[in-house]
Order: sequence, then C-alpha cells, then structure tokens
Amino acid sequence: MELLGLFAIFLKSSALAVGGLASLPLVHQDLVVPGIATDPQVVEALAIGRLSPGPNGLYLVSLGYEIAGWAGAAAATLAVSLPPLLIIPATALARRWLISAWFGGLVRGVTLGSAGLLLATGLQIAAPGLGAGMAVRIAWWQAALAVLAVVETLRGKLHPALLVALGIVAGNALVLLGF
Amino acid sequence: MSESARPRLRTLARAWFDVGTQSVGGGASTLVMIRRVFVDKHHWLTHRDVSEGWSFTQLSPGIHLVALCGTFGLRIAGRRGLLVSVASMMVPAALITAVLAALYERVAALPAASAALAGAGPVAGGMSAGVGVAMMWSIHRHGRRALVDGLLVLVALAASLLLHVDTVSIIVISAVVGALFLGRERPTTRDAPMS
Repeated sequence: MELLGLFAIFLKSSALAVGGLASLPLVHQDLVVPGIATDPQVVEALAIGRLSPGPNGLYLVSLGYEIAGWAGAAAATLAVSLPPLLIIPATALARRWLISAWFGGLVRGVTLGSAGLLLATGLQIAAPGLGAGMAVRIAWWQAALAVLAVVETLRGKLHPALLVALGIVAGNALVLLGF
Repeated sequence: MSESARPRLRTLARAWFDVGTQSVGGGASTLVMIRRVFVDKHHWLTHRDVSEGWSFTQLSPGIHLVALCGTFGLRIAGRRGLLVSVASMMVPAALITAVLAALYERVAALPAASAALAGAGPVAGGMSAGVGVAMMWSIHRHGRRALVDGLLVLVALAASLLLHVDTVSIIVISAVVGALFLGRERPTTRDAPMS
C-alpha cells in the first residue's frame, strides 16, 4: 500500500471520528474489508495501543507500523495529530456556532452513531464472524474475557494494560490446556 | 502578565510530555492531571480556562486530548507553543507505541503469540465495545429523551452489523438527525461542566 494512501485513510478516519477510538469502525471498513490489514493485526494494534501510554487513538500508530513499518507509524502519528486542531480556528471564528443548539445536536448525533458503530466493531473483534453470515467463533472463556473487558472499561478501576496482560496470560494458559 | 505566565517552551514541553506518557485513555484522570500541572503548579491557566477548553475540545474531531493540547499550547505560548505542545505530547507516546509494535513483530511467529492473540482479541473487542457504551453514557439525555438517544445507538449498531451500511453514511446520517432533532439541549458530559 502506498504511504500517501495509508496516510489519507488514517486522516479520514480521524477527521470523521469524535474521540480517539471512534476511528476504529472507519479504519476497519477502509483497511480490513479491502484486505490491506487483517483482523488479527487490528487486535494486535489495539492491544499494543493499550499497553503503551498516551491517548486511545494512538493504536493507529501500531497499525501503521504493522502495515508500512516506521514510515507507516510516522504517517499515523501525523494523521491523528492534525484533525483535532481544527477546533482551534473553529472556536476563534465560529464560537457562536459551536454553542448553538443545532451544532450541539450534531455532535450528540455523531457521538451516539459512533457509539453504535464502535459497539458493532467491538463485537466483531471479540467474536469474529458475527454479522458476516459466518459461524461465530468464540469459546466460553473468550466470551467471559470480553464481558470482563466491557465491565472494567466502564468501571475504569483497572489499568487497561493489566486487562490486556490478563487476556494474553489467559490465552496462553487455556490454549496450552487444550481449550 | 506575570513571569510564570510566560513559560519557557522547555517547561511547556515537559508538562505535555508528562501528560502524554502518564495519562490513561484521556478521560477524567487526565483532566485532574492537567489541572494540577497547568493551574496549580505553573499558574498558566485558571480552572475556568481548563473547564471551558475541555468543553469546547469535546466537540473536536479525532483525539480530544490533542485538541486540548493545541488549544492550551497556543494560549500559553503562541504558535510555537502549539507546535511544541502537540509534538511533546504525541511524539514520545507514539514512539513507545511503535517500538512495542516493532518488538511484537519479532515474536509474532511464535506459538505463544497466537495463543496470546486468542485472549487479547476478546479483551480488545470488549474494551472497544465498552468505550462505545461509555460514549453513549457520557452524552445521553434523561427521561424520555434517553430512549431516543439509545434508539439512535441501536439503529447505528444494527445498520452496521446486520445491514452492512457504509460507515461514513451512518456517521453523516447521525450528524443530520442530531442537528435536526437532538439539539434542544447543549451536550453535557460528566467531565465537562459547561461553566
């Protein structure tokens, strides 16, 4: 994949998302569906993104690295850094618009729609095959891990890196035991 | 303007480096950290500045913390402040992420790595779905309107998962529906008091 094309996909997914992880459904559609990246690569990127510090949206740096090496990581860093800065001229030039009822409604609509999309993508990652007309491949212990991850993300008490580490340890233990 | 209000760029860079490498996820704990460093320690901003900046940057595309970083960097030290702030927050954190990805690449072929993936997949999926629920929770309204908000989430979920509607179309339709029907109240989130 050409670096500029990859940069454009990262830029688009970041510009159309409200929040760092909200880019995930867009990235999934533009990179996984056409076969540029695989589902396991997305899982690796999300896991590495949670193991390392910084905002949630930096999982794209890991994905960029997996697709195009260091240049891909640099392209992703630049692509996620630019769109949020649009709010600066917007607050300077159109502060009235930003506090208007319709703009508040627009942001609420995009946030709620993105929440639904993120739920769909999260479910597909946790249970590959879901919604694709294929057999859903998920073991009981994987379903339990997914539920635990949802609950702990909402509670916010456990460090995300610990959750990922728990998944890695559980995966190794249970695969070795033959589950 | 007092001396402390004209910080050297290095101090500003150090402050954002700390936020970028020590914050988890960019939520409420990050806001507490920013208040401590920017208001209490360096007196670059007031608590009111932080609240207002936080509220506006929740409206930004992409990573809200980058928008906040740029906004405060510009306010504190002009355009150079903006560049230095965003670079200091993003580049070290991105570098750590890329180095981890590079290290993972070396072990990816081992059986232990694919077993790890069998456990990390459900966790990553569950966390993403959890963030989706948290996004809805942070912005939904109350009473009967909460049902309308919940319905929009479910329609987007079904349109994507079952009907395979294009992602951008779902976002654009949600934006139009929101601007037309959901705009009677300002967006409120628990972390963003509109003061």
